[in-house]
Amino acid sequence: MKRLALAIAALCASCTSGAKYAHAVVALVDVSGTYADQKAEVVNVIRRGLLPRLGPGDTLVVIRIDAESYTRKNVEASVKLDLRPSKANAQKLAFAGQLDEFSRRSVRAPHTDIRGAMMLGAEYLRETGAGRRTMIVFSDMEEDLPPGVKRDLAKDELAGVRVVAMNVKRLAADNANPAAYRLRLTSWEKQVTSHGAKEFKVVLEPEKLADLLDEG
Amino acid sequence: MEHLYLWPANPAASLLALWILSQVFLYAARAPMHKALQAVSRLFAGAFRIAARWCRSMAAGVVRRDREMVIDMGKGDLEAKIGREFHRIEGAFGKELSRYPDLHRKIDDTVIKVDADFQECASSAPAAPGWSEAVNAVAKMPTSGDRVVQKLLEEIHKSAVAGEKKALQDFRDATAKRHRILGAMAPLWKELTKLAGEVSSAVTSALESTKRIDGYMESYEKVRKGDEKAVRSLSWSSTQLFVVSVLILAVAIGGAFVNFNLIALPMSELVPSGSRIGGMPVATVAALVVVLMEVAAGVFAMEMLGITSFFPKLELLPRSRRRMILGVALGGLFMLACIEASLAVLREQIVDSSSALRQSLAGQSMVAETASSRIPVIGQAVLGFILPWILAMVAVPLETMISTGGHIVLSVMAGLLNLGGMLSRLGGHAMRYLFEAARHLYDIYIVVPLQIERLVGTASGRSTGDGRTAGANGAAALRPEVRR
Repeated sequence: MKRLALAIAALCASCTSGAKYAHAVVALVDVSGTYADQKAEVVNVIRRGLLPRLGPGDTLVVIRIDAESYTRKNVEASVKLDLRPSKANAQKLAFAGQLDEFSRRSVRAPHTDIRGAMMLGAEYLRETGAGRRTMIVFSDMEEDLPPGVKRDLAKDELAGVRVVAMNVKRLAADNANPAAYRLRLTSWEKQVTSHGAKEFKVVLEPEKLADLLDEG
Repeated sequence: MEHLYLWPANPAASLLALWILSQVFLYAARAPMHKALQAVSRLFAGAFRIAARWCRSMAAGVVRRDREMVIDMGKGDLEAKIGREFHRIEGAFGKELSRYPDLHRKIDDTVIKVDADFQECASSAPAAPGWSEAVNAVAKMPTSGDRVVQKLLEEIHKSAVAGEKKALQDFRDATAKRHRILGAMAPLWKELTKLAGEVSSAVTSALESTKRIDGYMESYEKVRKGDEKAVRSLSWSSTQLFVVSVLILAVAIGGAFVNFNLIALPMSELVPSGSRIGGMPVATVAALVVVLMEVAAGVFAMEMLGITSFFPKLELLPRSRRRMILGVALGGLFMLACIEASLAVLREQIVDSSSALRQSLAGQSMVAETASSRIPVIGQAVLGFILPWILAMVAVPLETMISTGGHIVLSVMAGLLNLGGMLSRLGGHAMRYLFEAARHLYDIYIVVPLQIERLVGTASGRSTGDGRTAGANGAAALRPEVRR
């Protein structure tokens, strides 16, 4: 009888929540300055490279990076996929529709608040409680805060989050001086890793995004 | 090393002093050191020897146990075969003997009929046709010229000819009648031949069975006596069975894997739980449980059909209950097969939907369905229906593997123990010679004081006039390790 009780206890102990194995992804899409023109391409990358890779139970949130990104209004679309594959597929289709609408809407922000979007995205990621958390930033990574806006990341703001800088657009000045572009990325790497991020990666080819997601 | 120098400024002198000190110390400690090395050598060699002996005795025990197991297995197998043959004979005899009175009566009736016909043939034998001679004799009688006599003779001749004709006719009629009787006897003879053939085949079958039983009994006797050849043959047969059952089980595991993959995806539609057990989603665990349930149902079905015997208690159940359990097992299997077939269809739908979604997300138009688009669905459904039945058969190789596995495990254990014993023996020898070599190296290191000792010993021997003794002592001193 004791053995049976022990076996049942072991079985119960081995039962865990599926959230630990789920994958939560936050995509930050820059709509300021010259990067606003990239919106359609970014939506395409999310549709083709990101959305099909997510499985039942996973979460995807798309946040707009504009002049002041730390507001709920900046959340363009959000979905937690159902555990039933058929339902999850329907949700994906609906989500793709929301993305199309976002792509069609003409938005151009005068400033770029990347850290504000990061803070908002980190909050969403924490809320999901997912075992794997990824933040994908579609931006030129050139922050330009409006006057009076302060963004200080907490020490563990990005704890356990992988940050991927995707499709980083080179500015006109970067072409003249590539070192500035590299320095910019290095400073972002230092910043995010010092605030708890697991890693910071720069991905140039959209095709590599899928492999990167599988790795996480 | 430098901290050992007596004079750090002069390392050469320090090293020399250290060397001399070590020589003096090691020379003084030579005898106890040799004893210590000898003792350690004995200790290790003894430990290895004990280990080797233990391995050997364990291996012998394991081999004995294996032999007993093989003999028991062989006896059980042969007993089952003999029992089956007796059962066959019983069945055949029961069937034939129940028919025997009928057969006997048939044979008797046929023989009586044949006898009656034969009697009839014999009783209606016609009279011998002697008329022709009488007619000839009358015809050759000389006529005396007398008209009356001549007429009389002619009448006699006529009546003789008529009598001959009648006798011939009677003879022919009788012969024809006998032929008819004999003709009617032919089917009876055929029936008799057929009945004799039936009896012969029954007897031949019984004789063959008895021959087989004789063969089994001979083998059984050999196995019971523990005949080396018979035991070897049984052991080889067990190994063969084990290998074959392992191969079949490997194939079955492959089938189970295919089966599992077929239902794992659609199961997430039926069991949409976010929880995990041991890191696996509940839907995956459910699919695994379904596959295992099929195997379990197969085990029960095979058990109830009498093909396997995993559970002795089930064998004691009455026939009606056994039939009921068989029905439940087969019904369960059928249900699971139907569920799997439907899940396979659902899987195809999910895959199609995912593919369409991917195309839609990629912005591609839907590819037109090909003419053979129903084939994968049907194929998967059929596969989903058939695989459970095939998995149910796993019980047979599983039982064989378990029953022969003991022999294989014991054989491997015996081999490993023998290998351990051999390595221990080698280790024991290696330790002895290693420590002997260490003793020699020790003596080589202090060869200078030893040589001085030898020279001093020789000189003192000469001075006492007993050089031989001194020399012998010196040699003994040089070789204290010589065994007594």
